This record gives sequence, structure tokens and C-alpha cells, in this order.
Amino acid sequence: MTSQTIIDPPEDGHFRNGQASNGSAPSPTTLSIHLTINGRDHALDIEPRVTLLDALRERLHLTGTKKGCDHGQCGACTVHVDGERVLACLTLAAQVEGRSITTIEGLADEDGTLHAVQAAFLEQDAFQCGYCTPGQIMSAVACIREGHAGSDEEIREYMAGNLCRCGAYPHIVAAVRQAAEGLRS
Amino acid sequence: MTAHDMKHAGSDSARLEAVGGRLSRVDGPAKITGAARYAFEQQLEGLTHAVLVGTTIAAGKVTGIDTRAAETAPGVLAVLTPDTIMELNSASDWFGRQPSEETYCPLVREVTFSGQHIAAVVAETLEQAVAAAALVKVGYDETPAIVDLSDGSDGIPVDAMTKEWGDAEAAFAEAPVRVCASYNTPREFQAAMEPHGLIARWEGDELTIWEPSQWLDGMARTYAEWFGVPFENVRLVSPYIGGGFGSKALALAHSAVAAAAAKMLGRPVKLVLNRPQNFTSYGGRAATRQTVAIGADKAGRIQSIVHRGVNETAVDGMWVEPLGSVTSIMYATPNFSSKQNVVRVNTVVPGAKRAPGENPSAFGIECAIDELAYELGIDPLEMRLINYAEQDPHAKKAWSTRQLREAFAAGAEAFGWARRSREPRSMRDGHQLIGWGVAAGTYPVRRAYGEAVVKLLADGSVEVESSSIDMGQGTYTILAQTAAETLGVPVEKVSVRLGDSHFARAGVTGGSRLAGVMTGAVYKAAGQALDELIGLALSDPRSPFHGLQANTLQVKGGRIAAPRGDGPEFSIAELMSTLGREKIEAKGDTVPASFTPEQRYNNYTTIAMALPHTEGEHSRHSWCAHFVEVRVDEDFGTVRVSRVVSALDSGRLYNPKLAESQWKGGIVMGIGQALLEEGIVDRRHGRIVNGNLADYMLPTNADIPDIQTISVGIPDPHSSALGGKGVGELGIVGVAPAIANAVFHATGKRVRDLPITLEKLI
Ligand code: FES
Ligand code: FES
Repeated sequence: MTSQTIIDPPEDGHFRNGQASNGSAPSPTTLSIHLTINGRDHALDIEPRVTLLDALRERLHLTGTKKGCDHGQCGACTVHVDGERVLACLTLAAQVEGRSITTIEGLADEDGTLHAVQAAFLEQDAFQCGYCTPGQIMSAVACIREGHAGSDEEIREYMAGNLCRCGAYPHIVAAVRQAAEGLRS
Repeated sequence: MTAHDMKHAGSDSARLEAVGGRLSRVDGPAKITGAARYAFEQQLEGLTHAVLVGTTIAAGKVTGIDTRAAETAPGVLAVLTPDTIMELNSASDWFGRQPSEETYCPLVREVTFSGQHIAAVVAETLEQAVAAAALVKVGYDETPAIVDLSDGSDGIPVDAMTKEWGDAEAAFAEAPVRVCASYNTPREFQAAMEPHGLIARWEGDELTIWEPSQWLDGMARTYAEWFGVPFENVRLVSPYIGGGFGSKALALAHSAVAAAAAKMLGRPVKLVLNRPQNFTSYGGRAATRQTVAIGADKAGRIQSIVHRGVNETAVDGMWVEPLGSVTSIMYATPNFSSKQNVVRVNTVVPGAKRAPGENPSAFGIECAIDELAYELGIDPLEMRLINYAEQDPHAKKAWSTRQLREAFAAGAEAFGWARRSREPRSMRDGHQLIGWGVAAGTYPVRRAYGEAVVKLLADGSVEVESSSIDMGQGTYTILAQTAAETLGVPVEKVSVRLGDSHFARAGVTGGSRLAGVMTGAVYKAAGQALDELIGLALSDPRSPFHGLQANTLQVKGGRIAAPRGDGPEFSIAELMSTLGREKIEAKGDTVPASFTPEQRYNNYTTIAMALPHTEGEHSRHSWCAHFVEVRVDEDFGTVRVSRVVSALDSGRLYNPKLAESQWKGGIVMGIGQALLEEGIVDRRHGRIVNGNLADYMLPTNADIPDIQTISVGIPDPHSSALGGKGVGELGIVGVAPAIANAVFHATGKRVRDLPITLEKLI
């Protein structure tokens, strides 16, 4: 049922998250990394424990990707890594060096033409507060691409990892269905 | 603060743009492209990050806080404790009542609940602050805690909640048919997807706060009082709010910590509560217990209702969840008694969650009336019609409008209620037991005075400004529609700016009052701007309309002309340029002219000036009827909601597309309340053990069927300037009892404790 991909840590186990839990001071190590986000290259000097989500929001000021829980429980932080949906809060920034990252800011065309899923969300009023919406849209694009938008039932199931407290679910289903049909034809 | 690019919304025709049209959300394009920058996503030079340390016990004393390791951790700028944080003044409460204490410390030494803030670490980066906060060591002297309602005494009577007429106890005792049962709701949480948090920045004695807020002016007042600075020195900015549901109306302890830290450090501070802290730093819905006793005659006519309620409150704060609010008005009864107590437990002060009061109240009475229907062998829908209240039974006043009969009829028709077989366990599909349930809901029309600024600019565009907010209800959109229609300009010419306390003032966004208040204020301000434009056009010698024998002009599609169309016609931009005007600005308000400046201030910064819903001749409420189908697995007891049809009376809808979204959102939250949501408290330390988004279960997409909503409202002139009643709170009221009633119909089991989980059915 779960359709979120969590990237495994590198095999050498080099990157670890903060060491706060054992009570010792965190490592002063700083990594210089390059991230390819929405087709642009970004150089970053960060601690190894910085998540992709915090790198996007706090360092690169790409705040379209939202933080709802920071624990892989809500889907608000969903982005694409090499075209697959990934929870940015459970991904270290350093893990995705060299991979292609797409965030909500990179979904529409350069000229501002909305992606079919974005347009369908607007038309179906598939959101209210909008806070879960970037994650919903990124999931929806992947859900359609994965071939999991064949029926309302399937859409509900494969969109179940993205919580929406405003309760836009029926309209999200309608939007995904509409976009899937549009993209198919 | 925020202007929206309308190019994606522009395809909607003129009909969609008018008030009442299905215009797509004007803030939608910003939200679906990631361009919408929420309050604490602002990027500031020199921003620092604060992380809170909370208590791990629910009652006792903090005996010591060892901050040495944290202070020397990399990147740490300060560790604040009760001993080191600056002293604040106490602030008045939301009624504007003066505090009893002089000073306020948002970090505590005396512990009254688990998760209470005791220290804060400020560091250069978030990661450094998180890591250092884990190094703070705290010593406690723990005392026994009261962890939930069942531990407490009977509690403290809240006399103001007592409602009585006739002799309810005697009439109940004499009634030929009687039902009496207890109904419980657990502690529930708002769980907005956007956590609480803020960025605080001081420049001299001017404070700017970027914080998601349902009430900029009220929160600005609190900050001003805490820091002893004039109200005007505090600017609250909240352009988008990622959901509030009642939780984001007050400046809270963590807000004070961030603002104090920013002042002490001389640098901006960002403090965002992590998800578990969002379950302990502000109150969710209080747990409640109700007993409802109904006595009726053999024909099903109610003779008496006796209602007793209890809700939990905090050891050091008071929250009353008005449990008799629906009980006292839904059905006609000659005898009635409702009383309520509160019980103090070791929790953060409970707060407002969608339809506070009405929601649990409806769970009690709407289950009880269903039980009465079964006792008598009367159809539950028929039962409700037999006891239909033709006027407000409590206030003894006429309803302003009450389309509840119409809601029952329309909902029943669309749902197919007539095909229902009455007996429990009489409908099934394989191993699934099918149940159909109905329940009604209501919410009072909360009214207040409001103001707005409308500017006509030289290029013919229009700006609307207000310190009210949009947390998803559609304020940006309906105010654009109101201004466009009133001024006679296309909606894409209108930009609405909200969420800045330096704009025209606004009271709280809560209790579903905002749309009614703000459309009224914008209507008035836009009307004034239009009058001024037309006045100038007729009187200014430079105007092409000067000397025309017309006493008014008409503006349509952004063009101004004589009403009969027999004179010149110009665009507003052309006219403004001929008149040599940069802008025409009007501030319109609905505040009584007799108000003093202090009354005006209190109108926006407290809730004390709100107008009673039973003021004058009428009793004003929105109404709804929910029809629900559940499927219960006979072996496993799992309940799925498979169909919902709801008919709702919110009066006139300013934008049905957005209103339907809000109604459905309320219904979805009601499904969560009925089947999933429950704050579980650990009995040893009074901790919320499921304080996260996986263990505190929210409804997911896979839990929600298609939902049909039907509007049965008519314009209600007594409720608001443009005829609307409340939308946002209404939808959730009555959903949980409709589901509980459907579960009874499916299984023959009456579950009176929410949520209805499988172990209660097998
Ligand atoms: S923020 Fe990543 S799943 Fe919630
Ligand atoms: S739109 Fe508000 S949480 Fe989904």
C-alpha cells in the first residue's frame, strides 16, 4: 500500500544524522555538496545530518516543499528524486547528490504553464489551506506515472500517504482522475 | 501583503465572478506552484533557530536545569530557562479582562502538564538547536497527576451554562417512554498540517511577528502587552495559514519564548513546534462526558430533556466546552434542564476545535434521539420531524431562517432513505453489515463589526486590504468577488491583501463569522469608493460627465457610463487620469458610529463585543442533516463509511465551490472523530503517547468515500449584510452521531464512546 520511496543510506554508512541522542556534541564536519534541483545546480556547505527538506527550506529558500511532521508520517514534504516520489524529511541532503530532484517549484513549465495535475487541483478545488498541496501534487504526478490512477479506489489507496487535514480528499481524487484522463488522451 | 496573479483564474466567466459564483480560488495558483510563502517561511538576514525543551512529567516541580552541555554545543547562542529569560508583563485574556498576575514567564518551574516548556535553546542552525536541546538535563520533584476526566472529582459547576425551563426532572419521571444514556468524546486535536511556529524580529521597540494566525489584532494586542510596547509597534504578518481549526487564534507560551529570545539576542528568531509539541503546546478539544435523558409520549413527542455534561479543563486554566448548546435548541420540548461541570486535569488548557460545544453536544442529543426512535419503533428521520422546533425553544424567538426540514427532505431524497429497512442488522452485502444513519447539526451565526479598505487605482485596478486572514476558507476569493461586483469591475482587476495587522483591523476568524463580517465591510467600503468615483465624475469640471443631466452613473465591466447608455463611456483608468487622481481610497466599516476609539480597539482585539446570535427578534443558526452509510465487517468489526449525503443551510453562499469544500472538509474531520481520533494519555506521567501524525490517526484519502453536499440555504437578512450564515464549523456537527447511528443500524450495537473502534464492536 505504501508508495513512498525512502532512499537507503549509502553502503559505506558514511552519512549519519545528528548525534544528539547519545549526548555527545555533534560532529563539526561540513560537507560540500551539489544538488540538482529543478534542473539547476546548487552548491551547499552543510552538516551531514541536514535533511533534504531542511536544505530546501532553510538553505535554498525553496519553501514550496512543506514540513508537516518531519517524521515521514504526512507526505507534505514529497518531492521527486529521479522521477520517484520521496519524503524529503526522511532523506539526507547528502544522499541525493548527483540525482535529479524536482520540487513543486519545478513542476510547471518555464513559461508558467501549469502541469496538468496543478491545473486539475485548481479546477476541482482540491485544497483549502494549501499546506499539504505541494506534497499532494507531487504524489499525484508520481501516482499517475506509476500507473496507479486507474480507478477512484486505486487513487485513494495510492494517495493515502499524503494527509490533508482540510479534508480535500474527494476533490483530490477528482483532480487526479481528471489529470490522469487528460494525460492519457 | 499578498497579491494574486489571476491569469489562471481568468477563464471563469462573469457569472462565476459575481458574489455567489463558483470562481476558482484566487490564491490557488500561488498554492499549487509553491509560490505561496506561509508566515514562518519568510527569509530574514541573520535568522537564528530556537528549539523548546518540555517537561516529561505532568505534575510537580522542576528542581534543576543543567544547561552546561547545551551552552557549549556548537552554534548555540543562548539557553533560556525560567531564571534567564527576560521578564514579561502578563497580558489580558481574549475577553480583554486584566490579568491577575503582574508578570508572566512562559518557561515554568511549577509543572502542571507534560510537555510544558521549561527551556529553549537558540542556535545558528536548526540542527544545532535540536542537538543542543537534547543535552539539557532537567531534575524534577514529581507529584501525582490527574491524567484524565475519570480521575477527577465531579468537578466545578459552571452556572453560566445552566439552561432550564419547565420542570424537566418531574416530566421525565412521568413520561411514558424514556431513554437515558451517557455519551463520551475523547481528547481530540486540531492537527493542522502546518505546525504552529513563528519568526520574531525586533527593530528598536518595534516587533514584527510572522506567525500563522486566525486573529492578527488579538495576537498583536497580547504581544504588545507582554513587552509593554504600544499596540501599533507590533506588526503581525500571516499571509497564508496552513490550517487552524480553532488552534491558531492566540499568542501562546512558545510565541512569547521566541519573541523574548529575539529581543534578548538582538537577532530574529524562528521557533517552530515539532509535531509532538503540537499536541502539548496548545489545547485540542477537551474530553467530554454527557448524560442525556429524554422522556416522550407514545406518539414520540418529547416531554422532557434532562442533560448533564462535564468537560476536562486544565489545572491552571479554564476551558468550557458548551455541551448543552445543541441539546437546548434542536427539538421542541416543554421541559428542559441542562447543567455542566468542568474537571481540572493535568493538561495544557483545552481549546477551540472546529465547532467547539456544538460538536460534542450534537453527539449526545443526536444519538439520544435515535435511541428514542428505536425505543418507540419510529423511523429516526420521522422522529426528528415529529419534534421539529418551529422556534428557538430556549430563547423563545423566531428562527431567522431554518431550512432544516428542507435539509432532511433533500438529503433523504438524494440518499434514498425511503428504501431503508428499519431493523438493525437487516441490510448486508456478503459479510459486510450495512447501516444507514441520520443526524442533524447546527451552529450559531456569530456576528461582529468589521472594517476594510478599498482602493481604486489610476490603472483601474482595485485593492482590498484587511487584517483578516485566509486559512483555506476562501477569504481572498470571496472578498475579490464582493469588491468586483460592488464596483462593477472584472474580478481579475481586484487584488486582495490580507494577513497584515497594519491593514484595516479585523477581529477573530473563528466561529464561522469572517465571511459574513468581511463581505459586509468590503461591500460598504467598495460602495463608498464607488460613490466617491461617481460623485467626482459628475461634479469635477474636468470630467467628461460633468454637466450631464444625470444624478448617477453606472460602472460595468470596469467601464463607467450614464445609466441609460446615452452618453460617453470611459474605463475607470481613463476617468481617473482625466480627473488627475492617483487613487480613490475608502475605509468602510460596520461599526456603530457611537463607538469610542477604545470600543473600536476592543472590537478587534477581544471577543467581548461579539453580537449575541439571539439579539433582537431572531435566533440565528446554520443547519444541516447528514445521511451516512457504513459497512461493518461482521467478523472484524472494522467500520468503513461508504456513502455520505449532507444537506446544509448556510444561508446564501458567497462562493458555492469553496463552501462545498469547507463543508466536505468538516464532514471528513467528523469521520475522523467518529472512527479514528483519540488522544491517548499515559497513566504514569500524563503524557500524550500518540502525539504524532501516525499514532493519532487522522482520516486519510483511503478512509473517505465520495461525499455529496446539497445547499438548501436561502438568504438570511438577519444574519449578515449579504445574507450568508456560517459555513466552516457547520459541516462537522452531527457527522459523528450520524455514523454512530448508522453503526447501530448495521450491527445492533450502540457505541456511545468515540471513536467507534473495532474492539467496541466485537
Ligand atoms: S514532513 Fe515529511 S512526511 Fe511529514
Ligand atoms: S489543503 Fe489544508 S491540509 Fe490539505
